[in-house]
Amino acid sequence: MPIPNLIPSQWETYDPSQKPPPFGHAMKRYMPLDEDYVNLNPGSWGTLPLPVLFAVTRYAYEIERIPDKLHWVTFQPLLNKARSAIAKLIGADTDEVVFAPNATHALNTVLRNFEWREGDLLIGASTLYGAITNTIRYLADRSEQPRPEAPVIEYNFPLTHAQILDIFRTKLREFKRQYVQSQFTDVPPLSPGYTSDSTKRKNKMVVIIDSISATPGVLMPWREMVRVCREEGVWSVVDAAHSIGQESGLNLGEIKPDFWITDCHKWLYAKRGCAVLYVPRRNQNVIKSSIPTGHGYVSPRSAKYGELGTNFVGQHTWTGTADQTAYITIPDALAFREWLGGEKVINDYCHKLALDGGRRLAQILGTRLMDETGELTLNMTNVMLPLPIESTPGEVYSSEQIDDINVYLRDTLLHEWKTYTSHYVHAGAWWCRCSAQVFNELSDFDYLGKALNAVCADIRDSMLLEKTSPNLIFPSYPALAHL
Amino acid sequence: MPIPSLRPSEGETYDASQKPPPFGHSLKRYFALDDDYVNLNHGSYGSLPLPVLFSATQMGYEIERNPDLFHRFKVKPLLDKARESVANMIGADTDEVVLVPNATHALNTVLRNFEWREGDVIIGATTTYGAVANTIRYLADRSEQPRPEAVVVTYEFPLTHAQILNIFRSKLRDVKQQRPNTPFTDVPPLSPGHDGANPQGNKIVAVIDSITANPGALMPWQEMVRVCREEGVWTVIDAAHSIGQEPGINLREAQPDFWLSNCHKWLYAKRGCAVLYVPKRNQYIIKTSIPASHEYVSPSSPEAKVKGTNFAMQHDWTGATDFTRYLTIPDALAFREWLGGEKAINDYCHKLAMDGQKVLAEVMSTQVMDETGELTLNMPNVALPLPAERTPGEIYTPEQLKKIDLHLRDKLLNEWKTYAVHYFHAGRWWCRCSAQVFNEVSDFEYLGRAFNAIARGEITAASWGRGETFSEYHTCLQSIGAERYGGRNALKFTIP
Repeated sequence: MPIPNLIPSQWETYDPSQKPPPFGHAMKRYMPLDEDYVNLNPGSWGTLPLPVLFAVTRYAYEIERIPDKLHWVTFQPLLNKARSAIAKLIGADTDEVVFAPNATHALNTVLRNFEWREGDLLIGASTLYGAITNTIRYLADRSEQPRPEAPVIEYNFPLTHAQILDIFRTKLREFKRQYVQSQFTDVPPLSPGYTSDSTKRKNKMVVIIDSISATPGVLMPWREMVRVCREEGVWSVVDAAHSIGQESGLNLGEIKPDFWITDCHKWLYAKRGCAVLYVPRRNQNVIKSSIPTGHGYVSPRSAKYGELGTNFVGQHTWTGTADQTAYITIPDALAFREWLGGEKVINDYCHKLALDGGRRLAQILGTRLMDETGELTLNMTNVMLPLPIESTPGEVYSSEQIDDINVYLRDTLLHEWKTYTSHYVHAGAWWCRCSAQVFNELSDFDYLGKALNAVCADIRDSMLLEKTSPNLIFPSYPALAHL
Repeated sequence: MPIPSLRPSEGETYDASQKPPPFGHSLKRYFALDDDYVNLNHGSYGSLPLPVLFSATQMGYEIERNPDLFHRFKVKPLLDKARESVANMIGADTDEVVLVPNATHALNTVLRNFEWREGDVIIGATTTYGAVANTIRYLADRSEQPRPEAVVVTYEFPLTHAQILNIFRSKLRDVKQQRPNTPFTDVPPLSPGHDGANPQGNKIVAVIDSITANPGALMPWQEMVRVCREEGVWTVIDAAHSIGQEPGINLREAQPDFWLSNCHKWLYAKRGCAVLYVPKRNQYIIKTSIPASHEYVSPSSPEAKVKGTNFAMQHDWTGATDFTRYLTIPDALAFREWLGGEKAINDYCHKLAMDGQKVLAEVMSTQVMDETGELTLNMPNVALPLPAERTPGEIYTPEQLKKIDLHLRDKLLNEWKTYAVHYFHAGRWWCRCSAQVFNEVSDFEYLGRAFNAIARGEITAASWGRGETFSEYHTCLQSIGAERYGGRNALKFTIP
């Protein structure tokens, strides 16, 4: 049966020679989101424009005409084209860039490829994404040696970039002193003291650095942190899940992280799930195997190793049968963004909206922004919720209550108010993290504020009634008097 | 903007109360394959029916209406439903079954979760799928201890099931005998001498194909599992080709330690979608999904006592992904039910495989690999009309083998618009066909003619003028003893 002749419906196609609609609600017509859904959380799952979704669908049918042909003939050039486009965006060579199903997967590829020894340190942070923390924990949980130690750096926001850097540098030096049995001579290639003689390399320190943390959604001074790592002989693995399509000036050739990972489906308008793993040539020998291991694996003991090394790119071209449409439609996502005006135009709008929207939301809620200096905010803003603050964990909220409140917030916002934002507890207070996209406007923040006020009032009145104590600190919210 | 209202076109919908068309070419209307493409390689990548593709497309749009709502509320019940339907097919509990991106991924999840010790042994085979063999090699390639040792069983087909069992059992015993100082006391729970969750000593883990890829041969895997149980060897069954092809899978009876299969190969599911089965007694081995999940439970945490390794929940969410491939499994199963169910489908495919291979062997004047009938379900293997060698390198250099492989693929796909896997095994060239519900015997005839023409090096109008690759092939054929006959510059040679 010939595949159906797919005809794009009105908003699944656009004329690149015509001007796009203005940013704001007029842009919603190109997004598949429900009209009445006030989405202030595209940072979590991403949302792809209808024309990209249509391109994906078209490929999905096209592939089925002769599956063997796609896999043997057509696929590779399309994949390479997508890789090239991404490499250009991040200041890397095409052969330093491969795709992975999602950022968590890419991070697992890096962390599991290191050969861990007794005395190694795998350093996390209190603000790392949950699944990444769990990856570290799993590696440290090995029931017998060899396994790394897993110290954690605490960040309690709000913090300035200067403060973050200070904490970071201090902690790295502290760890070196603390772990006396380890000889940290296995340093990355660009660090002082690097030797290619593997017999002289004993222990290593590997640190995971968020470029933009998830909760809170804050921009970290990651480029400076990478420099500190280089100076201190620490391997830097950058979890930049939120960066591509949100953060500008990504020039990895200059910044020189050891490993860098991002999700294309969050801010770059690509199909879910689609991530980029960047490994500069000097470090590709560390990535011995893709995950899962595939046909392209080259054994260090084989003759081919001399020519191909670890075959980083070749290995990641095919890691088992998969749906490749997410990767090969990246050019469609980029073309749409170009049509909207390009990266700078898009992010100027989103950034301004995040700042204005955050301020407005804080006003409506009668609370405050997390980011007092402006350093921490790109397109995601963090605003305190009108709920009691505790000065020590457990003072107000038991962990069950925190779960209950999270569930209540989620259910009520999504089902009753048809809106959403990420919500979380941090340093004793409740916060929301809003994402500003090209289809959002200031009025979305107004609406969310109204919803949050109502829902938080419910929470205070019903869930926290018994816990009222005179010592509680309430964020000042005179606005609530009007509810 | 509201998502477009998707209307199924012809072939994308069916009336479940009406009888389906008969098996054979009339079923092609429900598949997205090009009408003139003679697909005899369903087994490699699978081909999902148009109604399933439509369902997945529809769901893809639905998700985008409100990704938060979908992922936080709607996924879990649908995922559980998909898992349950697969579990029912293979004689397992739902909580022993999780869905992962593909069989290679499932296999990696198992092998990478074992904590390897110096002295451990992983047993693969010469017929193990390339990526799986590489996974074993990667684990053994760790630059320093601890790392397992990789041992390989050699199978040269054709073999009977009795012969395979013999080879396998002897190898297991050899492995133990050759390592007298290694205490293989880390045995699976059902084996004699199993000592709780904190075993001392070393283990042997065997990766066993239920149906190998090249050749496409059904192995006596249930008996091999039994032998392993007796010998205290862990069994990881690579059953990539099994679900939807192999009838009567009952894992509660067969009791493998781990079992995995691709749903997108023979079960009509969307690519890529596989099932990983881990019986409850072994879930403590799978400490983490790959990649690690929010639901990981640290063994030292209080939750570990209640949740163990939280096997099923860990696999609910391993990062953002396209869930439609898992969630449309019930659509695939419903379509198969409509066609008549597993038995009707596989009776047809099996008979076609047996009839087809006979015809193919006749047309090519060669022979089938499976002389006893034991090795063939829906994938017959037939020798190609190319010279066979008695010792490696007698006729073909590795470069020549590669050239011929590429040439076969290029000609089959681009000129003849057909395909079947071709491979070199034990000195001969073979093809492996897949018989599906949209195939008929005439497809095998056509494939035979294509192979004959390509093997003889005939120039068709389309290839005239494509000088380079063709003359390489000519040179290649000449060097292996083909002789030229005049006129059309074609080559022919005698087939041993």
